[in-house]
Amino acid sequence: MRIGIVSPYSFDVPGGVQNHIMDLAEALIGLGHEVSVLAPADDDAEHPPYVVPAGRALPLPYNGSVARIAFGPVSTARVRRWLRKGEFDVLHVHEPLSPSLSFLAVVSARGPVVATFHTAMTRSRALSAAQTFLQPVIEKITARIAVSELARKVQVEHLGGGAVEIPNGVAVAKFASAAPLPGWPGEGGTLGFLGRFTEPRKGFPLLRTAYVRLAKERPGLRLLVAGPGDRDELYSDIPPELHERVEFLGLVSESDKARMLRSVDVYVAPNTGGESFGMILTEAMAAGAAIAASDLDAFRRVLDGGRAGALFPNGDVTALTGLLGELLDDPVRRDGLSSCARIVVGAFDWPSVATRVLEVYATAIEATDGRVFDDE
Amino acid sequence: MPGTTMPGMWWVVGVVALTAIFSAYLGWTAQRVERVHMRAQSAERALDAHLVRRAAAAAVVAEQNESVELYAAARLALDAEPGDRETAENDLTRQLQAVTLDPSDPAARALINTSRRVVLARQVHTDQVRDAQTARDRVLVRMLLLNRRYRKPEYFDIVEPVLPDLPPLTVPAPASPSDPPTVVASGA
Repeated sequence: MRIGIVSPYSFDVPGGVQNHIMDLAEALIGLGHEVSVLAPADDDAEHPPYVVPAGRALPLPYNGSVARIAFGPVSTARVRRWLRKGEFDVLHVHEPLSPSLSFLAVVSARGPVVATFHTAMTRSRALSAAQTFLQPVIEKITARIAVSELARKVQVEHLGGGAVEIPNGVAVAKFASAAPLPGWPGEGGTLGFLGRFTEPRKGFPLLRTAYVRLAKERPGLRLLVAGPGDRDELYSDIPPELHERVEFLGLVSESDKARMLRSVDVYVAPNTGGESFGMILTEAMAAGAAIAASDLDAFRRVLDGGRAGALFPNGDVTALTGLLGELLDDPVRRDGLSSCARIVVGAFDWPSVATRVLEVYATAIEATDGRVFDDE
Repeated sequence: MPGTTMPGMWWVVGVVALTAIFSAYLGWTAQRVERVHMRAQSAERALDAHLVRRAAAAAVVAEQNESVELYAAARLALDAEPGDRETAENDLTRQLQAVTLDPSDPAARALINTSRRVVLARQVHTDQVRDAQTARDRVLVRMLLLNRRYRKPEYFDIVEPVLPDLPPLTVPAPASPSDPPTVVASGA
């Protein structure tokens, strides 16, 4: 099958949606399909061979994060050229209702269009209000995928359409086989955190407080942090005597991310909201880490109601501190959590996810009548 | 003199421009109405094909298990008249949800796969019908009888025909990627 995928966000900056698209594209190629991914990117920037750059992306604040997107006449021309040259059997767009390449591709295409919705948008009321205006665009989408129950609920309630729930995939083998970083996790125990620690909804301050409390009684306990952000900003809120026990890796590559997750005794996800799917949790599960996570709906589902990872009440620092202490003292419980997690994460492995996405493609093709052409 | 002709000329230009814009809009709307109806029809054919496949797969499983009730339900679903089809398919879904399938049986796996496709086809069909009905009911479309050329698409009102996934096999099944994802045009 010839598959055209559109990314709304630039691959220059790593992010959940971008990783999802790359992993899906690679899994589909692995299953023997031809895949082309159109994404905002500079022509001279480095990117995988299946990516077609659609020009420079502009940073715009969107849904609480900064998204790098492309929109405008130049992008429109590139989208149309890509569609014409590609002659795709199916067009797969991501987040098509944000002002992005995905939106432009839906408007410019006819034929089978599959759309994946990632975020459970909190501004869904605005979306409902815009529905009449968006109807001609929504109408062009043949089949919809939601990556989480929450994203699906937003679809059903605010856009009046159904959506098939297909969770994010995770490259299980890659995470399970990664080697821990040299010297980690060590004797005294290691807590891990990955993400933008400056972003309030990621909940890092909760973990920091819990770690500072625990570290006073546990002289060997270390904290491993990875993600974008300023080193000084991270250390400025940690007492100086603990600085040498907190390791900051900065922004890590995909392979270092796997190694980092293999290097911790307990992976902590103290997020306070805004997550529609616990992508990082499935990765930590694949890596075999014991997980402590806030009891957000999305996390609860991914962790099979708490059997594949321990949950604590969202925002409760005391509960988090207590839970981390228990887990650090109880290797048997940690083993139990991580072996359950290894079974649960099987359903999220990419090849099985990509096979289900292919079924949606086939359904979309059947419900239209032909290839995806440029709509004149 | 030019002062008196100019407003008249602009008036004409304005009317011509508005007419052009309005007819372009009408053309676009007519195209939209046609597209959503064509899609609803294709989706209906696809759903029909997948329901037939499911009933056939169910009959195979029923024969293997010598399950008379399941076989009868599959037969009834295959033979149902249009008015009775929804009830017959619901009965088959109920029978299928009650049956215990053997994960190592290829017929059972085929049945699970066709059932998943029924769920998808039904989902997409429902969406297409909704889009078509929304398009038909717009005031402009009704006033200009743009919908008169097309049969009104109807929902296929059945319970969610979802079956639980079988547990993963320890030994991977041969030729696993369920259906070759070919372009199934129409009819089927």
